[in-house]
Amino acid sequence: MNDNQITGRAENLVKDFGDFRAVNQVSFTLHKGEIFGFLGPNGSGKTTTIRMMLGLLAPTQGRVEILGTEMDGQSSSILPRIGYMSQRFSLYNDLTVLQNLNYYGQVYGLDSIKRKLQVQEALAISGLSGSEHIQTKDLSGGWRQRLALSAAILHQPEVLFLDEPTAGVDPVSRRSFWDLLYTLVARGISVFITTHYMDEAEHCHRLAFIQRGKIIAQGSLKEIKQTMMPGQVLEIDTDQAGKVIRILRKAYQNGNIDYKDLELHGSLVHVITPQVQSLSRHIKKLLKADKITLNSMSVVDPTLEDVFIACMRDNVPEVHNE
Amino acid sequence: MIRRILALVKKEFIHLRSDWWMPAFMLIGGALELLAIGWATSRPITNLPLMIWDQDHSPASRELVLALENTGTFLLEDQVQSLSPIEDALNRGDINAALIIPPDYSTQLTSLLGKPTLNVILNGAESIPAREAQRAIEGVVHDLGEQVVLQHLGLDPDQTAGFNFSLRVWFNEALSEAYYSTPAELGLMLEFTILLFAAITFSREKEFGTLEQMLVMPFSSLEIILGKAIPVILVGMADFALMLGVVHFAFHVPIRGSGLLLFVLALGYTIVELGKGMAISVFSKSQHQAFLLVLMIGMIDFMFLGYAVPVESMPRIMQLLANIIPAHHWLNILRSIMLKGSGLAALWPSILALVILGIIINTFSLLYVRRKLE
Repeated sequence: MNDNQITGRAENLVKDFGDFRAVNQVSFTLHKGEIFGFLGPNGSGKTTTIRMMLGLLAPTQGRVEILGTEMDGQSSSILPRIGYMSQRFSLYNDLTVLQNLNYYGQVYGLDSIKRKLQVQEALAISGLSGSEHIQTKDLSGGWRQRLALSAAILHQPEVLFLDEPTAGVDPVSRRSFWDLLYTLVARGISVFITTHYMDEAEHCHRLAFIQRGKIIAQGSLKEIKQTMMPGQVLEIDTDQAGKVIRILRKAYQNGNIDYKDLELHGSLVHVITPQVQSLSRHIKKLLKADKITLNSMSVVDPTLEDVFIACMRDNVPEVHNE
Repeated sequence: MIRRILALVKKEFIHLRSDWWMPAFMLIGGALELLAIGWATSRPITNLPLMIWDQDHSPASRELVLALENTGTFLLEDQVQSLSPIEDALNRGDINAALIIPPDYSTQLTSLLGKPTLNVILNGAESIPAREAQRAIEGVVHDLGEQVVLQHLGLDPDQTAGFNFSLRVWFNEALSEAYYSTPAELGLMLEFTILLFAAITFSREKEFGTLEQMLVMPFSSLEIILGKAIPVILVGMADFALMLGVVHFAFHVPIRGSGLLLFVLALGYTIVELGKGMAISVFSKSQHQAFLLVLMIGMIDFMFLGYAVPVESMPRIMQLLANIIPAHHWLNILRSIMLKGSGLAALWPSILALVILGIIINTFSLLYVRRKLE
């Protein structure tokens, strides 16, 4: 992390829709040159938060500040320094690639020389050079997202908000989308990104987990992994994972063994527990009794998914409150 | 500011070009509709089915029947020998008129103090053919120079009360329906064009999810409104010019008043309807919903264009209601300038009404749209 210059700040944001509290006391800061990931299941308040950050939605309580300016709906002077890519495709399908980019350039007041340069660069970084005259609706999902991103950064914003930018995009396109993001961040842009993809969240510099409108964990990836896990992860490799899970659950219910969490990870079983040694001995015995072949059993690094699911279960207090 | 508005205007025109159904509907649809209406109504009404019950069977009665046929207004459907086939045919709507010649017709006609009587039954359910039939029969009877008393049966006097016969003959010497129908159609098509186009401006962006993007761009709400309004006004005026050309050159409907005044007032009317369309657009969540709302409002306004039924013959409350419909005043202006050659001196009440309605509608619309955009 570099000099920690703060580019955005949310303070105790609350949003009520009638009786429903969509966002509950959310606070975080954005820093120059970092990707801040907002991770949560569908309907957890991610989009509502991003809309309040942009001044599209007035918070019930709390305040938002971007680049030192209060976002209160009257803050149009700050808009040229912000980029936004909404969850839905934000370009015009019936305009060509070039028409869309030119429209963005004109609206953001770029003069014609600068606009040409920026549009050329946007085409180059999105890999769409040579496809300028294709109608946007004829592009595939991944290309469209890259075009939308290059449109959102055409005016060289200092803070970039991305609302689930890679939803429904294939893994290869997602990969190149993230490469593009890293290039931007290296130039000193702050990126605020919401996602529900775990693998994407691993790419973020800092993360916040949001559940039912509340931030339940926040910090760097390492911090979250260290402090949020209620134990270590024991990985069991067996050919009968389903049966193993049933046996362990039964033993847990009978009080024979104790663990914090039990999850199926592909064909592997993950057990989370503070006492790895004693539990692994117990498990070995149990499986032997049922004549289940154990390929291997070892302690592994928790994946973000382990942490995320553990957090969602326990709803433990936040790591730190900035 | 100008640059952003221009960028938006340009973008709106690209939409129009790629979504060509919309401009095609607006420009060609209006003109085609006018051609169809004008063509269908430019001739006098002919071939109205007529049924005759001749109880007299005299040379005089046959002469009367022949004279009626010769007008061309009627097509002799049948000669019958009793009332019941006439009743049946009227009930089914097969005929518009029936003439009953009493047995003593020729006797009364030739006797010195005789009062020859004819019974005419008109299908009042279709008032326009009924009026036409009445006029033709009256004409024939008059031409025959006979003292024939017409007895109207079945035509409610109320149904003809609003028909200002003399007014039509004054300003429509050719008695062409096209003089009456095409300006009304023109007014209506202009309203639909503006409302539809204005109504999709925001609802389209909402439906495609691009409105949110627009709101985080450095537009002020006024810039957005202007950028959206200018294309509507340009298209509306082009549409008006095209349709006026069709009405004037294809159907020879005169433009007796000032063309400049007509265009200035058309622009004013465009802006009034634009305010309505914008409010609908911001209110609607999708284009679909906006279309339906436009259709509903258009159908209500249609009532007051005096197209189907003259406003003067409507119940009092409807006549009062007509005053708050901008299209009603607009049509009055359009007809007066085209057919009567009226100027500001005669038109000022309608213009004033349009201005007042315009200020109310646009103030409300502007506040509503701005609030929704912020």
